[in-house]
Amino acid sequence: MNLWPFSKSPAWNEVNYWALDLETSGLSPSDQILSVGMVPIRHGRIEYGAHYYSLVHPVRFDALSAEGIKAHHILPRELESAPPLGQVLDEIQQRIGDNILLLHYGSVDLGFLQRSFKALGRPWIKPLVVDTVLLLARLGERRRQLEPHTKPFPTGLAAARAALGLPGHIEHHALWDALATAELFLVLRNQLRARTLRQFVR
Amino acid sequence: MSRVERGLEITFYPDGSKVLERSGPKSQHLYLIRKGGVRLERDGQPILHLEEGEAFGYPSLLSQDAPAFDVVAEEDLLVYRWPREVFQKLLEYSAFAEFFTRGLAERLRLATRAEGLGMVNLDLALPVGELITRPPVFVPRPSTIGEAAQVMRSHQISSVLVEGEPLGILTDRDLRNRVLAAGKGPETPLVEIMSTPVKTLPASTPLFEALSFMVSQGIHHLPLEQDGKIIGLVTDTVFMRQQTKSPLYLLRRLERTRNPSDLAGYGTELTGVAESLLSGGLGASEIGRSVSSLNDQLIRILLRLGEDRLGPPPSAYSWIVFGSEGRMEQALLTDQDNALIYEVDSPEAAAYFEQLAQLVVEGLIQAGFPPCPGGYMAINWCKPISEWEQLFQSWIEVPKPQELLEAQIFFDFRAVHGQLSLEPLERVLASSADRGIFLAQLARASLQFRPPIGFFRQIKEDDGGVDIKKGGIAPIVSLARVYALEARSQARATLERLQAAARENKLSQDGAETLMEAFGFLMRLRLREQLASLGRNEAPGNKVLLERLSPLERRHLKEAFLQVREMQEAMSNRFHTDRLG
Repeated sequence: MNLWPFSKSPAWNEVNYWALDLETSGLSPSDQILSVGMVPIRHGRIEYGAHYYSLVHPVRFDALSAEGIKAHHILPRELESAPPLGQVLDEIQQRIGDNILLLHYGSVDLGFLQRSFKALGRPWIKPLVVDTVLLLARLGERRRQLEPHTKPFPTGLAAARAALGLPGHIEHHALWDALATAELFLVLRNQLRARTLRQFVR
Repeated sequence: MSRVERGLEITFYPDGSKVLERSGPKSQHLYLIRKGGVRLERDGQPILHLEEGEAFGYPSLLSQDAPAFDVVAEEDLLVYRWPREVFQKLLEYSAFAEFFTRGLAERLRLATRAEGLGMVNLDLALPVGELITRPPVFVPRPSTIGEAAQVMRSHQISSVLVEGEPLGILTDRDLRNRVLAAGKGPETPLVEIMSTPVKTLPASTPLFEALSFMVSQGIHHLPLEQDGKIIGLVTDTVFMRQQTKSPLYLLRRLERTRNPSDLAGYGTELTGVAESLLSGGLGASEIGRSVSSLNDQLIRILLRLGEDRLGPPPSAYSWIVFGSEGRMEQALLTDQDNALIYEVDSPEAAAYFEQLAQLVVEGLIQAGFPPCPGGYMAINWCKPISEWEQLFQSWIEVPKPQELLEAQIFFDFRAVHGQLSLEPLERVLASSADRGIFLAQLARASLQFRPPIGFFRQIKEDDGGVDIKKGGIAPIVSLARVYALEARSQARATLERLQAAARENKLSQDGAETLMEAFGFLMRLRLREQLASLGRNEAPGNKVLLERLSPLERRHLKEAFLQVREMQEAMSNRFHTDRLG
């Protein structure tokens, strides 16, 4: 658990966020990161122009499954020229810095990141995390207080976006999913009427 | 494309916030709507709505002038925006540049038009005077019919005006019906035959108004005046050239009716008229007025045919319509709601009018008007005026909630034909303003249907769609009825009732305008969907499927429902309907 790094919680748009999404070869701990997409939010605006996207050169090519390729559309051939994991982790670490990491379903991607850092013998950077799934749950709870019979919001990224009136996006692509998460975050922030950062992490 | 990506920012604006300000700082970005919509406004007047995938901010960006409109977020707005440098780079691509400059021209056109004519289709909003092709032709008042006919022949015109006060007119039709068919000769004095005083309109009257005036007056020639002078004349053929599915065309057809069986197909043609008026950009209330005038004419013709068959009526009478017909808010053939009121309470009169009602109701069915499932038709509601008075009195003096739910449509009655004055009924109705209990019960009846809106402000959709009649139209109609009765207004149309209520301070001006706007939107939406259903050979209903609406229309619908809900709450508080037993 992170200790609150600020003495007084800053306004939500005074801090910078990096929405991040990973595509992996599967969901088990032995699977590998294949691509990463990151999109920053600064001053409450998504600065898509400053995004980062990279494929990752896998350690074991043989472990890539046909189903995985079907899901994320990354072909082994494309990965051949990709930078190695260490270089990509540098890029990630440099961007996150003191900023907030914004994830949808944080535990999965966080697990992969943590294991990757450990595997390369690096200390884990312990960023402050805001998870849009938790924000969705909070909005759902609030709604149920008023209307006890409403269903909770769906947690899948595309379904959650649709429930909040956001348009469809290209799914299972790290960059578009990161962007989709950032957009979802802006809408959730408004619906929750959250003004300070603390209100996201509580 | 990488250039496009580099400058892209995504920003979120909460509902109601101003993205750009008219005459404010120049736009520094090209904006593209990702989610939600914006309203371009000028002095608070909405000019244009933009929705997902549409762009704004570029006219100011291109011209380097201040924005011409306020750009206001409607609901939660997510926009993509690019800085000027990127936009200018992109303009180097000809296809891109063309797209935006074309949009610019359109926007500028709107900006100028918004001030004059509003968003109404230009053709029908045109001043009728613009259709005048030649100066008017006059003949001296002491002329004979033969002299007048010669003038008409030499000018090749179908009517002449007759000098003197009040102005008269002689038409082709008069020569046939009132001269030849009446066995009169060319030496007949003109003053015996001409119609006077002539019905005229100012030349500045919008085309559509003139059209409905001619339909409602049953005239084919309309002299137009300007600065107190007749400057020319338009005939219905001009309109018919303009529009084949014109109300006047159908009016002509009605006038040729000699037998109720000639009326088959009337319903279909009426649908065509409604369709052409809708695509002409007219509002639902104008279409309703036009369609109701035609239906009135149909009823008058059926009554005349009935009288021809049964002989002259034994007593003065009045044929009334009520419900949406009474309010002139029908656009398609809806269930018949009619009744007959006669003066003298005698068995002879009862028998005669029962037969007359039977003939007219059957004729209406032949013309395509379905019978009223609730039985509110003149065959069941044919009574002497004394009984009607008692009936109205009992509704108002001893209001029973269940009865009022049904009876309230009678308070929208409107006389279509007949000599009998309905002043006694108007008087009873006016007395209702002092009956607190009655108004409260009527207010409660107006809360019978509620807009389908959840706590989280989302529209609840049932199987088959959202019922916009129960959810919006019917509540607004009944709210307006209560307010109008309280204001002692004799208006029937919902929009007029709301205006009258605001004038008498029974309702705030804002409240009235809000409801009027919501009503216009819902009526137009329903008409469009009903016409679409007919086009698919489906029965027109009152439900709309949300998925068939654009995101913008969905938002409008929600806004209309929310406004209705708010006004219902206000009505409930005003009359303490919760305290009624």
